[in-house]
Amino acid sequence: MSFITVYCHIDENSCSVNGETVLQKNEESSDSWFKQLYKDLAIEYPKFYKMDMLSQAGFIGSELIKRANPDLISNYNDDEIALLFANSESSADTDIRFKESYLDKKTPSPSLFVYTLPNIVLGEIAIRNKWFGENMFAVLPKFTPDFFVQYGMVLLTTGSKAVLAGWLGILEGRVEVFLFLVETESNKGEPFDIENIIKYAGF
Amino acid sequence: MIYIGAEEIISPLGQNMEENFQAVCENRSGVSLIPHAGFNDESIHLSKITSISSQNKFEYLLIDILENVLKQIDPQIVSSKKTIVIVSSTKGDLDRNISSPFTDSIAAFAKYFKLANEPLVVSNACISGVLAINAAGNFIKTGLYDHAIVIGCDVISDFVLYGFQSLFAVSSTPCAPFDANRNGITLGEGCSAVVLSNSKEIFKKTSFQLFTGRSANDANHISGPSRTGEGLFRSVKKTLEQNQISVDEIDFISAHGTATIFNDEMEAIAFDRLEINDKPLNSLKGYFGHTLGAAGVIETAISIQMMRNNLLVKSLGYKESGTSKTLNIATENKSSELNTILKTASGFGGCNASLVIRKL
Repeated sequence: MSFITVYCHIDENSCSVNGETVLQKNEESSDSWFKQLYKDLAIEYPKFYKMDMLSQAGFIGSELIKRANPDLISNYNDDEIALLFANSESSADTDIRFKESYLDKKTPSPSLFVYTLPNIVLGEIAIRNKWFGENMFAVLPKFTPDFFVQYGMVLLTTGSKAVLAGWLGILEGRVEVFLFLVETESNKGEPFDIENIIKYAGF
Repeated sequence: MIYIGAEEIISPLGQNMEENFQAVCENRSGVSLIPHAGFNDESIHLSKITSISSQNKFEYLLIDILENVLKQIDPQIVSSKKTIVIVSSTKGDLDRNISSPFTDSIAAFAKYFKLANEPLVVSNACISGVLAINAAGNFIKTGLYDHAIVIGCDVISDFVLYGFQSLFAVSSTPCAPFDANRNGITLGEGCSAVVLSNSKEIFKKTSFQLFTGRSANDANHISGPSRTGEGLFRSVKKTLEQNQISVDEIDFISAHGTATIFNDEMEAIAFDRLEINDKPLNSLKGYFGHTLGAAGVIETAISIQMMRNNLLVKSLGYKESGTSKTLNIATENKSSELNTILKTASGFGGCNASLVIRKL
């Protein structure tokens, strides 16, 4: 059996873990919404500022999941946590900005270009945590619980012991982020099935 | 057992598998100097398909490749509920809709063939193709599907070319994987397919056995290869262990070999750590350019053709050793009994993947 042990939501102005609000966007702040969330995490990770929105979203979500489950790092070997992410826009949010860099600003930006692949966020999370496990990024027409269950089960039967999964809907200011942690060696949480993913996702 | 076969390729080297493999056997390259292609209007070496007009090229390639595949298998499986189509691609049809680069093309493709299940798009940088084949094999193993069609496709765009130019990663000459004078990638475009099944009866020609492999992240850098080859080392090690294959059984390595200084060096280090650096090895980028999300499928298709023909194809562009660890790079075509092939891939985001194919 495997279980969803932690889940996390971020939208345009609020963030919650296991359904409980962690932070609401302060409209008066000069910081971006994701920067407010980063500061609230109270961690030192300057690489965060170089990341694009997609990577920042995945990074914040994964840090919140770790905070809710501090044993996550110590319970598993460095290659036992798989990363399974998807969205329907790929890296479009940064693709649009990179295209502007060569069309409007006449200088293709290398620092934007390196973020024009959706799986870069998996690399950022892997680097942060020194996780050498499995990676998969899929682009789906819409949020598809079946995909997460099907591929999640594949991962859990081929050597991974936990799956950090997520839907990262980031495009031109729209934020629809849902991350969840699936663990096999656990005695808490709800069963990892389509019904519970739909329930926790809420969209 | 997972069977794999019905391999097909569309590239500048030909419209089908036969034409492509013939060209590769003759050591012909699809790479040519394209005038005014670069950001500053400079001429750039590319492996570009000129037979299809640029509009909706991605969609046409998906349809054309599956038409090719249909001639190689029981055509009824395509629209079966027990069949999944997996498309591996980095950028899809970016020029058609930058905000949703796959939606229109994939929907049109699915409708054209009346697919029962929505295709899955794997977009995991340059390991997309190998990862998609492994995912397909695992879906069949778990009983979710009986058959899978994996299609790798990427087309050249200003977007991707200008991006690699901005990283100073584009070679001034046709790319030379693993060579001492290599200085970057040559971009390519192409489309390739393989079919996987739990039944060998669906294939009109001989099929092969697929041993699905593992992926591993370097956990090191988002755009620079690991200095120790850690992710590739781990991926191959796990793939061999999981399938109980010893290194002695590997006859050949179809490497990634992008021809950047650091990627090829990283691969050499990983293969040395795995103690497989004496195995005959090639990179096919000299023939097809770097086709990104299509590369893993194209290179798997050529590997299968090499096994069918017992012909080890030379690594085009290679002249003298240019990595700190010595590799056994194929410098000539050579008749050779090829029973077991290891295919590897590595990409941005620090990802690595591998698989093994064996003659039955």
